[in-house]
Amino acid sequence: MARVFCGLSGGVDSALAAALLVEAGHDVTAVYMRNWSRDLPGFKCPWARELADAERVAVTLGIDLEVWDCEAEYKATVVDYLVDAYAHGYTPNPDVMCNQTVKFGTFLERALAAGADFVATGHYGRVERGEGGRVRLLRALDEHKDQTYFLWRVSEDALARTLLPVGEIRDKAEVRRMCAERGLGVENKPDSDGICFVGPVGIRAFLLDSLERRAGDVVEWETGRVLGRHDGAFLFTVGQRRGLDLGGGPARYVVDTDVEKNVVYVTADHDSPALFMREIALDDTCWISGEAPESGRYLVRTRHTGELCEAELDGCVLRFGEPVRRVAPGQSAVLYDGVRCLGGGIVQK
Amino acid sequence: MTHGEKNEAPMREVYLDYAAATPVDPEVAEAMLPYLTERFWNPSAPYARAREVRDDVERARGTVARLIGARPDCLTFTAGATEANNLAFAAVEGHVVVDAIEHESVLACAGTHARRTVRVGADGIVDAAAVARAIRPDTELVSVELANGEIGCVQPVREISRVVATERARRLEAGEDTPIYLHSDASQAAGALSVNVATLGVDLLTLSAAKIYGPKQVGVLWASEDVRLRPLVYGGGQEGGVRSGTENVAGVVGFARALELACERRGEEGRRLAGLRERLREGLLARVPSMVVTGPKSPKRRLPGLLHVSFAGVEARRLVIALERAGVSVGTGSACAASRMRVSHVLEAIGMPRELAEGSLRLTLGRGTTEEDVDYAVEAIADAVRAEMARVGTDAAAMAALAGGWGRR
Repeated sequence: MARVFCGLSGGVDSALAAALLVEAGHDVTAVYMRNWSRDLPGFKCPWARELADAERVAVTLGIDLEVWDCEAEYKATVVDYLVDAYAHGYTPNPDVMCNQTVKFGTFLERALAAGADFVATGHYGRVERGEGGRVRLLRALDEHKDQTYFLWRVSEDALARTLLPVGEIRDKAEVRRMCAERGLGVENKPDSDGICFVGPVGIRAFLLDSLERRAGDVVEWETGRVLGRHDGAFLFTVGQRRGLDLGGGPARYVVDTDVEKNVVYVTADHDSPALFMREIALDDTCWISGEAPESGRYLVRTRHTGELCEAELDGCVLRFGEPVRRVAPGQSAVLYDGVRCLGGGIVQK
Repeated sequence: MTHGEKNEAPMREVYLDYAAATPVDPEVAEAMLPYLTERFWNPSAPYARAREVRDDVERARGTVARLIGARPDCLTFTAGATEANNLAFAAVEGHVVVDAIEHESVLACAGTHARRTVRVGADGIVDAAAVARAIRPDTELVSVELANGEIGCVQPVREISRVVATERARRLEAGEDTPIYLHSDASQAAGALSVNVATLGVDLLTLSAAKIYGPKQVGVLWASEDVRLRPLVYGGGQEGGVRSGTENVAGVVGFARALELACERRGEEGRRLAGLRERLREGLLARVPSMVVTGPKSPKRRLPGLLHVSFAGVEARRLVIALERAGVSVGTGSACAASRMRVSHVLEAIGMPRELAEGSLRLTLGRGTTEEDVDYAVEAIADAVRAEMARVGTDAAAMAALAGGWGRR
């Protein structure tokens, strides 16, 4: 029996994680991390409702629920980072930062200080404890739900103190069924997708709440012709199709943005070479084991649950055999050796 | 407990949150139904059938007016009590006086005016003398609810009306022409108490259909002919231009029927509910002696169907979930406060210690409540409280210490 602090978000996955830990005989304390409670125009932050659901799970399981205020850390390391990255023309993954600094940062530290042996979350991933105390992160059994793409910046030391019970379950339907069997009352909640703190309002409205609008040109990549205007190059991401107000014509895709000159480059050609690339330069790399993997062939993922492509790692550069769709700078490129997540880096411009 | 047991349906469903919502009485629903289907016409349309509907609205207005002792043309139907309260406050621009345990809608409206907030005692009762002290020469509105929906205290509105009348007389003598009005939100009271405007001595009165077995989103503001209401909703000029928008015909008809039933049944039902409340209180106290009951001791000063209880050091939010699993629905205070996860402003204002406030349940009985329901609820609540006490490792002595002197009054 271990003393486990389990993050309980009010959702299905963490509810089952807590239930499984209780059933395994652990001494479980549930923690609701209040990371963000700000309402946006047209979006009331649902934290109180989520907390009520978390509480229902805790009462059903007969365990304590504590509410930990992580708003300061979350604002500094996730929200401010996100806004700053967008302002500089990057498209960041806030979930990656949240996992590194809040869930497996602040939460883990505070739990250990409170006497925890382990922390647990409802993430889809598996922690394998090998010989000699080495710990490895593996993709979840449910490949469709695997969340290791968001966990690549979590260190081995943190993983050594982490339990991810849901990663061992074959599929999400099974997770819902197991929640229903246990009467946890959350089994019918929809999956939460996207950035939690902007909700259905979307990242655009959130950014416009934080950054100044700035009118600029939408320029055709091939010809340099001005096709229309936009209200801030920082609002656009490579590959984006929607949100370009060009008054009809063919669908156009963002090829590139230049936040200095405030220009958005677009193309009508979905197969334009400008939308593809053969290599990615990585920055801010992070390796779970603490050591960079040797140069060689690995599986790479550049999008949550996206295709695993083969690529050659050469120092901080990834080379693909075939051209692949361009990845927006700021996104994560995560490397795998088979099912094992090695770590990764941030895609450069 | 095994998982199978956890999922078993409860033996009984007992609803003890009538102060939050009442079911629409079958007779009310029956009165409303034709206006949702065959008699759907717009009361402002020119043909005869539409005219009939207009007459039905006016008949309903007349019924409500008669039941509160008012003139029909002084009634404005609104989309609920919150809007009626907003309309009352919009009638004045200057200083207002309210008490600290008013409903959120009244406090929020008062927040847009220069104001004084009168404190209340531990039983929630507003002291008329304190209201007198709070009134300034430029005070234009005093707003005190008839009964509080959380701890059930009935306010001395009649006495406060004398205070306001005294100030009005003083201004008349002094040649000051600032008007002063008394408003009372009687939403929570109308099921149990007489709401005659003359007896109460008020100038504005709010009522809600939703708390008296009528439909939600239907309310009324009565204003004496001295008060000039200012519209908040502009448009086609319905309700004397004060509240535009096509009349909620079914809602208004249902409201009138609901108020009729409330007035008919008030006496007998009040006695029945008071008896059930005592049964609930005694049953709970016998099983959990450390329970603290809040609200006025005198039956005359409290709503008959409301029992407010607190268990120091026990989290009410967990009790609600445990009780829901046993089939018992209870409130923790006003739903508005609950959704924001704050200690209720009412319990804060009466000075209840936080440890006690967080362990508070509001139990409200209504027309559907039976003795069997009460007995079942007593066992379920006592079981839930004892289970939580065991979980957090507290006992009667520790609970009494947390409650401080609060329970011993």
